[in-house]
Amino acid sequence: MNRWYPEALKEFKIVTVFDLLLEYIQEGKIQLDKSVHSMAVAYHDPCNYGRKSLKAFGQAYFEEGRAVTRACCDDVRELNPNRNSAYCCGAGGGAWAMPFSEERVFYGRIKARQISESGAHLVVAPCHNCRDQIMKSLNKEYDLNIEVKYIWELVADSLIMPNKQ
Amino acid sequence: MMYEFKVSELAEEFGVHRNTIRNWINAGTLSAKEGPGRKYLMKFHDYQKLCEKFGREPHVTPSNNVSSKALGALEKTDIEPLLVNGVKSQIALDPSWADACLTCGTCASACPISGVDGLDPRKIVRMAVLGMDEELVKSNWPWKCTMCAKCEEACPANISITALMRKIRGTRKRSEVPGPIHKGVVMCLERGNNLGIPKDDFVFLCEDLGEELAADSCPGFKTPIDVHGARVLVTVNSKEPFGEPDDMKWWWKIFYAAGESWTLSSEYWEGVNWGLFSGDDESMKTVVGRIVDNMRRLNCKVLLLPE
Repeated sequence: MNRWYPEALKEFKIVTVFDLLLEYIQEGKIQLDKSVHSMAVAYHDPCNYGRKSLKAFGQAYFEEGRAVTRACCDDVRELNPNRNSAYCCGAGGGAWAMPFSEERVFYGRIKARQISESGAHLVVAPCHNCRDQIMKSLNKEYDLNIEVKYIWELVADSLIMPNKQ
Repeated sequence: MMYEFKVSELAEEFGVHRNTIRNWINAGTLSAKEGPGRKYLMKFHDYQKLCEKFGREPHVTPSNNVSSKALGALEKTDIEPLLVNGVKSQIALDPSWADACLTCGTCASACPISGVDGLDPRKIVRMAVLGMDEELVKSNWPWKCTMCAKCEEACPANISITALMRKIRGTRKRSEVPGPIHKGVVMCLERGNNLGIPKDDFVFLCEDLGEELAADSCPGFKTPIDVHGARVLVTVNSKEPFGEPDDMKWWWKIFYAAGESWTLSSEYWEGVNWGLFSGDDESMKTVVGRIVDNMRRLNCKVLLLPE
């Protein structure tokens, strides 16, 4: 949109899932219950929100996802190397939809090892591709025995619902 | 390795006169240079060649010497040199995509699928430098690559490897794009979303899910569709209404709890742009343009992307 519709950027704001979730949390619009997710939680950096966003837009979402995750859970762990040096889940760039599934699983071996070394029981993925790869593929292929949630799923499951009449 | 000799010794060895050896040296037939103590130095390999030429066994064979027979066999197994012939890649358009590469291979060690199909980012970049466009476009490797940019982050020369990869993808004939990616792009252009979900089905599904959510945890919830003036326009990943519709409720529940003013659009609600993956800028632009139109039509202030 930057490239093709620069004038549209002046008319409205484009937000990512992080911007909106953080806005709700920081402005106190939603209340969260940390006791729902008391297990060890690992945060996965999606390439497109981190490294690639930094290069394409000059801004990376590294800390925002962690802030949201920490607002929902106490025991948040890192998958090192992380942030700008994070390893891809293996399903990016459309690979989740492509026919090269053996290569995709092979690709994910590093992410799988990181997850198992972190000792996390829940992995938070802010991206559709990453979540599908980690939950539906790596979890089975590498016997990780973990739960995987979208970051907004984590928030939705932690919500303390307001009393509305 | 250098071979040190006296003119007189070499003359004796080959049964020629000392002057003959001097003449050979002066004429360049024998590439030797003067060394210390009236001795000369020549490359051992040149000495070997000289022996071969006159059918003699070298009278010294250093321990690290490769016998000329073995060397000959090795030379035969060498691949034919590739002639570049000034072929210029039509893919690597920008010098920063390939030409500025230092061939250090740091990218290859960063890449999780280096070695798959015998390729890695360094080789892809090299192929582009050599103008091997046909091989690049034919290879499936750029499609197994997830364009995660780990290679690019590691690269000391700041080569735009993912831009090159996307260009390679974009250069392939559209009918040969692997998997459903291009079909999704075509579907999206024709029917508004990657999976071809009709408008009525989408609206019905969303209303139905809204009723479930209201009964379940959000009393009074009603799915907002085409609400003019809503603050946030929410785009959707079509796999959710297609295969995992309940997953949409997480966001809806958050909106409900936060008291957000938001809406879906009944048309062109797709938030996933597969043109990004297939390297198809034209289609990508069309799909982005539709979202811009939606924002204007519904007069929303904030656009939420699905991931």
